[in-house]
Amino acid sequence: MSPPLGALAPRETSRETIARARMRAALIPDLLVEAKRVANNVFAGWHGRRKRGIGEEFWQFRPYVTGENYSAIDWRRSARDDNLYVRDQEWQAAHMVWLWVDESPSMLFKSIDAIVAKQSRALVLAFAMAELLARSGERLGWLGVSRPVTSRHAAERLGEALLSVPPQTELPDAVHLRNFADVILFSDFLMEPELLQRKLGAFVSQGARGHLVQIVDPVEEVFPYAGRVEFRDPESGERLTVGSAQNLATDYELLFGEHVERVRRLAHSFGWSHTLHHTDRLATQALDSLYVHLTETPGVA
Amino acid sequence: MLGLPIAFAYPLVLAGLVALPLIWWLLRLTPPKPQAEMFPPLAILARLIGKEETPAKSPWWLTLLRLAMAALAILAMAGPVFNPETPRLAGNGPVLIVLDNGWASGRDWEERLDVARQLAAEARDTDRRVFIVETANPSPDALEAMEAGTATTRLDALENRPLEPDHSAAARLVQTIAERSAPVSVHFLSDGLQHAGTAELAEAIALADAAPTLARPSLEGLSALAGVRNDPDALVGAVVRPAGADRGQATVTMRDIKGLPLARRSVDLPAGSDAVAFRFDEPVELRNQAARVSVEDAANAGAVHLLDERFRRRLVGLVSGEAADGSQPLLSPLYYIARALAPFSDLRRADDANLTSAIRELTGQGVSAIILADVGNLPDDASQRLAEWVDNGGMLIRFAGPRLAASPGDELLPVRLRGGGRNLGGALSWETPKPVAPFDETSPFFGLEAPREVLVTRQVLALQDIDLDRRTWAVLDDGTPLVTAAQREAGWIVLFHVSSDASWSNLPISGTFVEMLRRVVSQSRSSGTQTVDGEPRSLAPLQTLDGKGRLGPPPANTRPLALDEDNARAASVDNPPGLYGTEDGFVALNLFGQSVRLAPLDTGIFGGANFAAYARDQAQPLKHFLLAAAALLLLLDCLAVLLISGALRLRRAGSAAGAAMLALGLSFGLSDSAYAQTDEDGFDFSAALETRLAYIETGVESVDAVSRAGMYGLTQFITARTALEPGEPVGLDPETDELAFYALIYWPISVEAPLPSPETMARVDAFMKQGGSILFDTRDQVNGLTGGTAGSAEALRLQAILSSLDIPPLEPVPPDHVLTKAFYLLDRFPGRYAGGDLWVEAIGEAREGEERPARAGDGVSSIIITSNDFAAAWALDGSLRPLFPTVPPDPRQREMSFRTGVNLMMYALTGNYKADQVHIPALLERLGQ
Repeated sequence: MSPPLGALAPRETSRETIARARMRAALIPDLLVEAKRVANNVFAGWHGRRKRGIGEEFWQFRPYVTGENYSAIDWRRSARDDNLYVRDQEWQAAHMVWLWVDESPSMLFKSIDAIVAKQSRALVLAFAMAELLARSGERLGWLGVSRPVTSRHAAERLGEALLSVPPQTELPDAVHLRNFADVILFSDFLMEPELLQRKLGAFVSQGARGHLVQIVDPVEEVFPYAGRVEFRDPESGERLTVGSAQNLATDYELLFGEHVERVRRLAHSFGWSHTLHHTDRLATQALDSLYVHLTETPGVA
Repeated sequence: MLGLPIAFAYPLVLAGLVALPLIWWLLRLTPPKPQAEMFPPLAILARLIGKEETPAKSPWWLTLLRLAMAALAILAMAGPVFNPETPRLAGNGPVLIVLDNGWASGRDWEERLDVARQLAAEARDTDRRVFIVETANPSPDALEAMEAGTATTRLDALENRPLEPDHSAAARLVQTIAERSAPVSVHFLSDGLQHAGTAELAEAIALADAAPTLARPSLEGLSALAGVRNDPDALVGAVVRPAGADRGQATVTMRDIKGLPLARRSVDLPAGSDAVAFRFDEPVELRNQAARVSVEDAANAGAVHLLDERFRRRLVGLVSGEAADGSQPLLSPLYYIARALAPFSDLRRADDANLTSAIRELTGQGVSAIILADVGNLPDDASQRLAEWVDNGGMLIRFAGPRLAASPGDELLPVRLRGGGRNLGGALSWETPKPVAPFDETSPFFGLEAPREVLVTRQVLALQDIDLDRRTWAVLDDGTPLVTAAQREAGWIVLFHVSSDASWSNLPISGTFVEMLRRVVSQSRSSGTQTVDGEPRSLAPLQTLDGKGRLGPPPANTRPLALDEDNARAASVDNPPGLYGTEDGFVALNLFGQSVRLAPLDTGIFGGANFAAYARDQAQPLKHFLLAAAALLLLLDCLAVLLISGALRLRRAGSAAGAAMLALGLSFGLSDSAYAQTDEDGFDFSAALETRLAYIETGVESVDAVSRAGMYGLTQFITARTALEPGEPVGLDPETDELAFYALIYWPISVEAPLPSPETMARVDAFMKQGGSILFDTRDQVNGLTGGTAGSAEALRLQAILSSLDIPPLEPVPPDHVLTKAFYLLDRFPGRYAGGDLWVEAIGEAREGEERPARAGDGVSSIIITSNDFAAAWALDGSLRPLFPTVPPDPRQREMSFRTGVNLMMYALTGNYKADQVHIPALLERLGQ
């Protein structure tokens, strides 16, 4: 009897994954979350928003308007001619980004085709994102675990926080969310699409912009099983015996593709992005596409 | 075993049944434990198949099925036999097998042989010696006892013979054996019929063995043919069956010499009737083709009756008083007679103009009738010979004519004739031509429609005589005889009072003439002369019947058939029934003559015998049935497994159908390639179906390219200017390609080309002799120093090529040759060069004042030689531009060159069609124009 094609991998902690995440993140240029819709907020970030606001970098000189604070006048410029000029700084504001990684038992699955387990890959991706975003001075939080922090070492701090709580198996409710935050969810999204829709709907109603990263083991997609196979669900423990699994492959692949497609359509209906990632691919690929999604203007406003 | 009549050939194999529980245990193990797999998207998978749960063990009925399969296989390997053979051999001492291997055994010969083989096998097992007496071939060899093994070999080679069993001779053999080596155990394998001498055989058997075993077959379906005759009106005969046979039915078929059925009759055989007549009243032409009459499915030699020449067409000799004139066949006196007789008679024409030898030759050939067309004076010798022949039953048919009318005093005439003849409706006569009166009831022509359209303008007249009426078969309207006949000893003399051509009357060209001749000829006796100058003739066997009544090559020991005076011939071992003679003339020897009686075997004379049937070996091996059942179960098992695994779904069926379609397509593809094979000589077909210009490929590329372009150019020109539309020109290799399809072949002479082999030249010679023409082109006109081409390299090469051919004298095309006007009017034949002559076969010296081409016949000159390089002048490129300039450069010369080509092609295709134009000046002159 041949060894099984897939098994549950041991749960990986944030400690082990952060180092790998750093390596991945090092390959990606600085990330500036596109934030046109972002309202003024008090948290300062590192990156200019290409508009007037509170910041440290020079943005423009403009004529002084009566009623403004005198201290705003840039006398050196004003001395050149008869007008008074005010020196405007570029608005430098941080954006709030919430991360979340599904750590349910199904995420621990790793097939022989895959490089790592889904949970491991999800953590790496999340921490790599955290590293990238922290580099850009964004405020980062972990849904249901940690409040937002702004730090160059946000990844470590989030990891520390994650170690102190039990594994996150359920998508938390959108309680801490503020307006115009970004949410990045890493999961296999094998839950019922209706449940997912309800939960995501709550995020959307708080004005969040989201990114779903669906992590899939290759075995789950191509169904390479043959012969008589007893399948077991790692979460519910249900069993299912199939006489000749090879005959189901085409039908199963269709159904699974349909499921992925439903998740994708759900995301797009909210104006969220959806990234499908396979654990037999390199993490960098998912990072790349996530990078693109985060920096681009959302398709649906 | 178990009271059932079943035995096993290899009972030890049954021990394999012990293994069944093991198999059962093995079967219970399956299916294998499923592979355990962790699978997160189980919910999705579950949606696909629901809560299907295959049991870990196969269902009990599947196990049972497989066990049954194994059991069946084991049983089959043990070789079960249903109804195993029971021993037949009885008594003790040597075994004597008396075997009826005559004609009546044909139907069930194999069964009989099986019984004999079984006896021999049992004798071998019990170590007894065997005698075999064949009743149809009772030879003294039978007196030697054989080892049983030898006997089996002997039986394997034994065939039944198409002969009547000779029980008397067999009785003597049995008696001798009984005296020498009693006690013997006698087994008489009879054919169920009483033959001459059966009583003696019974006595001899009783002497040898007090309790012999007698096997009798069922006589059902046994039939023979007797009394088959091809009468003038029908072919008749009788189906003979053993006395007291049940009601039945037989199909009698008449076949021609190739064995193809001509006609079929279904004959109802009422119960108790032993001979039922049948009748084929097909047209005589059809019946005359019959070579064989047989009872279908009878499979014995007695049920086949062979017909020979005696039943068939009459042999008619033709003699004409006129010298044979092949050039005007329609005027030959024999023409209409031959045409009228040919469908139902074989004609023998006298080859010799000498009447005496002609008649001797014909009478020697055994003709039934001799026709003398307008023979007046017969030489004494011939007359005497004819009279003798008529006395012996010959039919002499004479036709009047100028010669007969001139010398009417002849012994061999049915009536006395008046000298001269009678002209009706001539310029010097008041009378009109007379039609034929309706035929009298006493006339053999009665029943024929009197041909009213027939008019007689001239006849010979009979002198009044006392019995002229009696001798008259047909009269004209005015009562003058048209056909008279008289019997002379066994034969007849018939006189048609008109000539056999259409000059005296139009009777010979009417349909009635055919009927009249047929009736006359069918009155003649069919004669087969069996003696040649008094010596008995002996005929080599041609084909003989075998024991099953099939015609085939004669066995090696068949002897020639000696024909004695009275034709008494009987089939024997040396002369089995069949055809003797040659393909052209043969005599049929049949088993039964005019009548035969078949009596069932009288069992009463075999006192104390045990009777047995020819129970066909009832032993029925069951092995293949069991194997088939096991295979069926295997199929069921496969089906069940597929069903259980859920693999048997419609989608799969679809793919299976696809595979079937693929296979079908493949097979079509294969058959396509098979068609392609039959098309391999497509080249020749296309050549035959389309007229093409052809040229010889010399092998020198530059020359061949010019030839190709030239033929192409000429093809274009001919298509544009004439009604002829030749196909693509074709280059020929005279060594391999068939030349016969082309009327004209262009052959450029090149010094560089290899000289054709003698075989090739033989082909070319045959092509030229069969009417093809070859245009040789030496292409050297400008090279010749003096304008002439003699002595140039190409001319020498042409001489070398033609040296092996029979070349007639040649001449330059004379001004009145057909070539000058076959299509265009031409007076010279230029090619690329203008100076050379065109040479053709010399027609011959014209006689004084005679126009030449009128004597040319249809002969197209088979050889045409030029030096003007035609192909270069004709050569056109793809856009129809000339490839070579003419020398001198003159567009008119090219046009004339093309016209020369057209004329050559027309000349080759139509021959002397235009030759008669030479008469036009004379005709115009005669018309006074």
